[in-house]
Amino acid sequence: MTRILAVAQNELLGLLRSKFFIVGLVVVPVLVGGVMAFMGYASSRVDREDRHFGVVDRTGVIYPAIESAAARHNEQAGSGMGRSGPHFLPERLDAAAPNDEDLTARLSDQVRRGDLFGFLVIPADVLDATSTAPVKYFSANTSYTTLSSWLSSTVGAEIQRQRLTRAGVDPVLVARLTKRVDVPSYGLVERNADGSTTSARQVDEVQRFGIPIFFLVLMFMSVMSNAQHLINTIIEEKMSKISEVLLGSITAFQLLAGKLLGIVGVSLLLALVYLVGGIYTLFNLGRPDLINLGLLGWFLVFLLCASLLYGALFQALSSACSDLKDAQSMLQPAMMGLMMAYLSSMMVIRAPDSAFATTLSLIPPLTPFAMLLRLAMPPGPPIWQVLLSVVMLMGTTTAVVWAAGRIFRIGLLMQGKPPNLPELLRWIRK
Amino acid sequence: MPTPAVDVRRVSKSFDGHRAVDDLSLMVPEGAIYGFIGPNGSGKTTTLRMILNIIGPDSGSIDVLGEPASAATRDAIGYLPEERGLYKKMQVRRLLRYYGRLKGRTTAELDPVIARWLERLQLSDWADKRVDQLSKGMAQKVQFVAAIVARPRLLILDEPFSGLDPVNADALRSAVLELRREGTTIVFSTHDMGTAEKMCDRILMIFQGRKVLDGSMKEIQAEYGHDTIRVALSGGLSALDGVAGLESVTDHGNYQDVRVRGSANALLQQLVTRTEVRHFEIMHPSLADIFIRIAGPAAATEGAA
Repeated sequence: MTRILAVAQNELLGLLRSKFFIVGLVVVPVLVGGVMAFMGYASSRVDREDRHFGVVDRTGVIYPAIESAAARHNEQAGSGMGRSGPHFLPERLDAAAPNDEDLTARLSDQVRRGDLFGFLVIPADVLDATSTAPVKYFSANTSYTTLSSWLSSTVGAEIQRQRLTRAGVDPVLVARLTKRVDVPSYGLVERNADGSTTSARQVDEVQRFGIPIFFLVLMFMSVMSNAQHLINTIIEEKMSKISEVLLGSITAFQLLAGKLLGIVGVSLLLALVYLVGGIYTLFNLGRPDLINLGLLGWFLVFLLCASLLYGALFQALSSACSDLKDAQSMLQPAMMGLMMAYLSSMMVIRAPDSAFATTLSLIPPLTPFAMLLRLAMPPGPPIWQVLLSVVMLMGTTTAVVWAAGRIFRIGLLMQGKPPNLPELLRWIRK
Repeated sequence: MPTPAVDVRRVSKSFDGHRAVDDLSLMVPEGAIYGFIGPNGSGKTTTLRMILNIIGPDSGSIDVLGEPASAATRDAIGYLPEERGLYKKMQVRRLLRYYGRLKGRTTAELDPVIARWLERLQLSDWADKRVDQLSKGMAQKVQFVAAIVARPRLLILDEPFSGLDPVNADALRSAVLELRREGTTIVFSTHDMGTAEKMCDRILMIFQGRKVLDGSMKEIQAEYGHDTIRVALSGGLSALDGVAGLESVTDHGNYQDVRVRGSANALLQQLVTRTEVRHFEIMHPSLADIFIRIAGPAAATEGAA
């Protein structure tokens, strides 16, 4: 056992120092966090211009609403260094022109000269309920939608308000009567032992998608972050005859067991760092109610099995190859399988209680992903399905580790062309 | 009779129908330096791997230090593979500790041994450097320390001196002799016949998976007799043209080693009539000569036939 621990310690230290782990643990979160922070910062800093635009208001009654809405907008955007958005500066323009074409041509010239950013033409009969004449916005910068969107909602709301008033309808009452009706989702009311009830909890997006996806990505990342390092180490050991020295001291199974232990250690460490980060985030968001200790326990069980299963598979296949290129080709099907497991789990999110999701979660290589998702999504699968999947997963993991040990024993000393599937099966039976 | 360090009895091993080792028996006396020679692919490495219990024989049995070869006997064996066997990115001291721990030793037991041998081989200043920062000679010496760090009773060295400059080769050679004086049994495979002749108490040669030589240098030479004559002629190699009874001529430039079918006297009589004979010595064949006779092109042709 001490020798297995020596190998495990060596693997663990090697993995912790490997760039793959450092990337997985530090660089990815820093990168994602950095990009998000930058996007947040940039979105409030990228557009801090004054947008000076003209308004031709042929109704004569809409402009004041635009002017006061712009003032409110500008106040919200702030000023000086703390300014977080553009300022809209409307200007009422003279509507006198022989026709619309002359007017828009003249104003377009002003935009080209840079006197205006754009201009709005509000037709005279726009307040008539039967009017089909559109309010038109003209600008050289047609890809800039912040101002046009703001104008659309501001002018649209004002026209509606004035039409209602003209028709003798109270706009405030209309707004109240047409208010959007939300249909929030709740879990079920719990009946306690003493006969009292616990109110149902409202389900939100964080609980519905955030938590399951967090666990799914974490599981995938924890398993995958080891793969490349494993391949590199085994190929180095084979090419440099280190494996011969190692096998002169310990058995192939001890070597495999030590390596697997190291992998599991790294996966758990990586997962724990993220879990602690996740829990800290939930506390910060004021949602400690979303921390589910039962789910965490299942996650660790599935992570352990997935690390062993995929770790053993990667090691066995790498050991059968003599160079990195061969190993990468050989591992492609296994990698594809892992990707399939990950991607098919995405479908489980849509209907976690469907026959499709149930079947996926009971296929051992997919269980760590699919069953974990089902567990993370209320109400979760029946307990017998969870237990059955764990038993099947553990059985498969044991079989894969055993077969990997058989392949590893022969593969480590083999040189030359990598074996095909029938040869691998022969090694296992040998 | 004392227990041999290695006792291989009628061992055979095949890979995919090819017989790598064929009915091989050998006995390495405890405390001896035992040389393994043979052409590439003759079964040396397979035999060493079986002694190390990395692979098992198809038939026959192997005892190491009085016990059947097993996981337990591996702890008493140190192994140096040819040229490589080190993690490039690992620090020297950490690597040596790791290899020692795999043999069941603790760090406390290992550290004094590591310090002693690094100093002995002038590597102390490199203890905390990474392996890929070492020269080839230094790496070879580190590999040697890795093989002996767990104080093995049996040390197996595969081409320990290949690629080393004379200074480093001499340092390793004297380290091997020091270990032998301390009681370690040493088995080493080599293609350097001169080193084998000088260092080994016994020599074993494997050819096409079978044992073809086994004994002390004296015994081997006695078996092949005094059939080699070293001559130095003023006419050089060309003076041997047309000499009757010559079986083989090996030209060394300044002198030639020849074998004759008849007597040495008959050869001498022929030579003195043709040229000035500056040197004429009847001697034992060298190990290299014997090797070539057994495994040279003629033998390969016979084997093929």
